[in-house]
Amino acid sequence: MTFEPSETPANGEEPDAQFDALRKLLLGPEQERIEELSEELHSRELTPEELAEKLPEAIALSGSRDDQLGRALGPTIDTALRESIRRDPQEMASAIFPVLGPAIRKAIAETMASLVRSINNAVEQSLSIDGMKWRIEAWRTGIPFPEIVIKHALVYRVEQAFLVHAETGLLLEHVAASDLSVPDADLISSMLSAIQDFVRDSFHPGEGGMLRTFSVGDHTVQVEAGPRALLAVVIKGQAPDEVLRRQQNVLETVHLEFAGPLADFNGDAAPFVPARPLLEDCLETVLSTQTKKKGKGVWLRWAIPLAVVLIAVATMWIRSSMRWNRSLEALRAEPGIVVVDADRGFGIWNISGLRDPAARDPRAVLAGIGVSPAELDGKWEGYLSLNPVMVAARARRAADSLKTSIERDRIYFAAGSSALDQSALATLTSLSARYRQLETAATESGSAVKLELTGRTDPSGRDQTNAALAEQRPAVVARWLESSGIPAARITQNPIATASPLTSPDSAEQARINRSVSFRVMMTPPSPASGRK
Amino acid sequence: MIQKKICMVGVFGTGKTCLVQQYVHSIFSVKYLSTVGVKIDRKEVKVGDTDMMLMLWDLEGRDGTRDITTSYLRGAHGVIFVADGTRKETVDQLSDLRKIVVDAVGPVPAIVALNKSDLAEEWKLSSSDEAAAGGEGVHRLKTSAKTGQGVEDAFQWLAEATLSAPEKTR
Repeated sequence: MTFEPSETPANGEEPDAQFDALRKLLLGPEQERIEELSEELHSRELTPEELAEKLPEAIALSGSRDDQLGRALGPTIDTALRESIRRDPQEMASAIFPVLGPAIRKAIAETMASLVRSINNAVEQSLSIDGMKWRIEAWRTGIPFPEIVIKHALVYRVEQAFLVHAETGLLLEHVAASDLSVPDADLISSMLSAIQDFVRDSFHPGEGGMLRTFSVGDHTVQVEAGPRALLAVVIKGQAPDEVLRRQQNVLETVHLEFAGPLADFNGDAAPFVPARPLLEDCLETVLSTQTKKKGKGVWLRWAIPLAVVLIAVATMWIRSSMRWNRSLEALRAEPGIVVVDADRGFGIWNISGLRDPAARDPRAVLAGIGVSPAELDGKWEGYLSLNPVMVAARARRAADSLKTSIERDRIYFAAGSSALDQSALATLTSLSARYRQLETAATESGSAVKLELTGRTDPSGRDQTNAALAEQRPAVVARWLESSGIPAARITQNPIATASPLTSPDSAEQARINRSVSFRVMMTPPSPASGRK
Repeated sequence: MIQKKICMVGVFGTGKTCLVQQYVHSIFSVKYLSTVGVKIDRKEVKVGDTDMMLMLWDLEGRDGTRDITTSYLRGAHGVIFVADGTRKETVDQLSDLRKIVVDAVGPVPAIVALNKSDLAEEWKLSSSDEAAAGGEGVHRLKTSAKTGQGVEDAFQWLAEATLSAPEKTR
């Protein structure tokens, strides 16, 4: 039976099994490879490259579905941030600086602005007449000053704001002025909404009708209703429409920003905590000093010119005082002037005292420092100052007058003669005495003196004769003066003969006055130090 | 803090107001009931870890009978019905009251307080009366304003019920 092997399938096995066997026989290696690949495909993890490509898309998708990803990542991000800050705080600081800086600046600016406002208010109140009266009242009654201010100056104050859930009357949020304590805001809130119902049921005001305001004493409750919430404010005093407008704005904003929590409200007020700042916008205190702008304007209209006038008067007064003081100082410092009495009247300055004849005129002293008083009055008594400057000044004056007197003298001679006659001797005697006085005075004032003798002749006669005469005549005079005690070193002779004649309308007289010796006193000026010794 | 609006309704003279008086914080006088028709009190309870504030709207019929102002029921999260166990008619009237309430606010958690339980001799209710008081779907309790029996339990039960009640759909 040679066919046995090939007939075996036909005899005993199923056709499927045969096919499988055949397939295994033909495709065995490929099948194994496919299985390997399939396994790899299922068990394989994403490569980093693939992950990087998918990740942003995956995050966006997850974020759009729900906030699970955020919750899952939250702790990791917290840890990462903490770790990053721990490792290098500087880097984190630089990263958040651009955000933090403006925020801090804004906060500081707002704080400063409110500080300035409160200082302004405080100053305004403290300085006004009302402010003074209130201070006295506070002191008298023992009530704190701020309370007195509010009592008198309060125009209105929005003290409380209630945000009430319209349907249930439950309180969503409540704010009150810092000095008020309202422990039962929730009860009030419910009652407010109950009263709304009561009024509606009692008076049937029609669609949307409601109790908008009611007053109790000096308090007014103003209620604004939105579709899901009421906003009620409690106002003390007379509030302007502005308050209502702000209240409406706040209520609209609440409906906009809290639309979800309002619709889903089921008794939990926690989601409305962020509405606090909005409600706080409704609270305010307005004192009369803040609103009476008109009154303030009147004050200002007067205050500004008044201030200008006051400043002008004060400036003039200060400048005048400064001039007065400077003038007195200058006069007191001036040698030879002693100020005894000084009185500054309107327009007239009365200054009296002692004045050395050699001292400068007080008016000149003042002019020297740029002050020219319109009227300078006063009596000056003469006196002799022992001030070295004055002593020197006096000596200089004396020397000057002696110099003038000496230079006026001439010694005349007869024609062709150089002999001293009687009158010449008398003149010389006197001149010699005056010269010695001059020398003393000059020494006191620190100067040195020389006497120059100029010898002249008349033009008649020969030039040689005249030249000789012009030398003889001063020589004779010099000799005489030397003999009277004047040192020869002090005397110089200047024979000019007819070179620079003295002139006279009358020719005889001209001839006579030129037959002469005339005098010039030469004083060297005092050295600056010598006068003040 | 979770707040819930709870309305207390009952026929005149059932001791509704007395029932809660010493268990709640109140700033409004009883006069409100006869004038405005409502008086609001506050009751704090704790359910598990949750602090709750029940705002109790004590409603009074304006003419002193069953006629209550339905506006006040608006938005209520729970209702306390009060009947007087010594006056059977007040219990009978509960079903009418209940209808008014359900019409106004829907099937919110409700409790029936059968009050004056301290007056055992005058008690007019059979156990079947008690079991049927207020109709289907309400929790029932015997209470006494005098001894305080059942009062705290009533608040506690209602607080829990409102907390676990499904969100109202409107």
